[in-house]
Amino acid sequence: MRTVTTANRPPEGATALEETRHAVRGEVVVRLEGIRKSFASTEVLHGVDLTVHAGEHVVVFGPSGSGKSTLLRTINLLEPPTAGSVRVLGVEYGPAGKRGRRGNPLELRRQVGMVFQQFNLFPHLTALHNVALPLRAAKRMRRGEAEERAALALQQMGLLRFATRFPAELSGGQQQRVAIARALALDPKVMLFDEPTSALDAELVGEVLAAMRRVAESGMTMVIVTHELNFAREIGDFNVFMDNGLIADSGPRGFFDNCTNPRTKQFMAAVL
Amino acid sequence: MSPLATYDWSLVWENRNAFLDGLATALEVAAVALVISVALGLLLALARMSKPPVSWAAAAYINVFRGVPALVSVIWVYFGWSLLLGINFTVFQAGVIALVLLYGAFIAEIYRAALEAIPKGQREAGLAVGMHRIRVFAQIILPQATKIAIPNIGSMFIGMVKDTSTFTVIGLLEVVRVTQNLNSTTFQPFVLYTAAAAVYVVAAFVLDFAFRAIEKSLATSPVGPFGRATAARRTRRIETVMQRVEAVSGARGA
Repeated sequence: MRTVTTANRPPEGATALEETRHAVRGEVVVRLEGIRKSFASTEVLHGVDLTVHAGEHVVVFGPSGSGKSTLLRTINLLEPPTAGSVRVLGVEYGPAGKRGRRGNPLELRRQVGMVFQQFNLFPHLTALHNVALPLRAAKRMRRGEAEERAALALQQMGLLRFATRFPAELSGGQQQRVAIARALALDPKVMLFDEPTSALDAELVGEVLAAMRRVAESGMTMVIVTHELNFAREIGDFNVFMDNGLIADSGPRGFFDNCTNPRTKQFMAAVL
Repeated sequence: MSPLATYDWSLVWENRNAFLDGLATALEVAAVALVISVALGLLLALARMSKPPVSWAAAAYINVFRGVPALVSVIWVYFGWSLLLGINFTVFQAGVIALVLLYGAFIAEIYRAALEAIPKGQREAGLAVGMHRIRVFAQIILPQATKIAIPNIGSMFIGMVKDTSTFTVIGLLEVVRVTQNLNSTTFQPFVLYTAAAAVYVVAAFVLDFAFRAIEKSLATSPVGPFGRATAARRTRRIETVMQRVEAVSGARGA
């Protein structure tokens, strides 16, 4: 069993690649170790390790049902793992039962932004108040302050002129950009994207990918579950191929062009 | 001689205040009961959706009280409870309690259906932005569910007003009791009960209209003066914020 000396060091016995990633990137933002997740009697994650460093853009891809969304959702405990360790910014949030103090999931989620496949905007609130409500609720901002911060976040997404619209009055691409603004406004340390373009019409995918590219260029730490492998190839600093609840293959930038694993190549050929 | 000649329709107008007082009493009982029933119904819905044995208890309550007629309920409360608890309820209190017992159960089912209609992604999105689960419920789930529930709650309110007619048995001075009293001195049952029926029909019509107005004012593109005014105020407020932000970024860009 590997031991973690401090949160910001790679674990002993880490692979050469991890050592390199650590040396280049520095601070570890997310570290998952031995993550297992069962729904009823079916185990969908069979012990997954994943480390995300500050400023890194990690891409997770793989066939449907491979557990990539579930893995992403364990990071902010929307799916609490059945076993294993979830460390975010040095605080342990894994399942109870082990020794040591557990972090409060509320604190975790205030550091971790998430963008969903189905946008999940609040339909009873305007675009502005979709962004402002979490600022008031989670950051305890006053109403005026929250609205101003929300307007800035919408402006960064090029959506300020839609501030008074309700989600139903926006296109899918605009809704997803509001959702990105909602997560970004909270100043997260890491952003999770769960297939953010899968529910969009083809002609709307581009604007969302462009928005994500801008987020990436700002230096945000990102974990992206996606089927857009061309985007992944362009943005991925570290690429993870998941299959049957395990990481089957992974690699740094250039992974998509230099991949040798036959299963990975087969999947890429089918998708690209 | 036409049979109509024996009907004295002027009685209705002469006793209009008595009818209206009766209606006012009925509306007061029903309105107080509605507020409490909605609160009870929401709690029962949450209990029904939680884990056993709490959910079983809620299901049992709902299934029992949906089946009890208002007449039985009010007699049970007014005469039965007072013996059991040693409390002498006023007729008003007994009427309210009788309605709450029944309609709490109906509204629980309305709220349960409405809460179940909210996609689970709404809760997840609220949790993911770091909101406490109670706040997620109060500010994200409940407003959406209430919007879905309002038309059915409106129907329930009309039912409650009509059910107050049975409270004549405990002596509540509502529309039917008023009608009975007038009939005992004038012997004009056809005229008086036609008037009573008309009072209920008009009341139901007005209430239906009112609930439709509330429903429309809650729509994202509101209809009606109240909803439109609220929306306009919100738009003005947001536009002020937009202008402020644009001014700041414009100045920076220049």
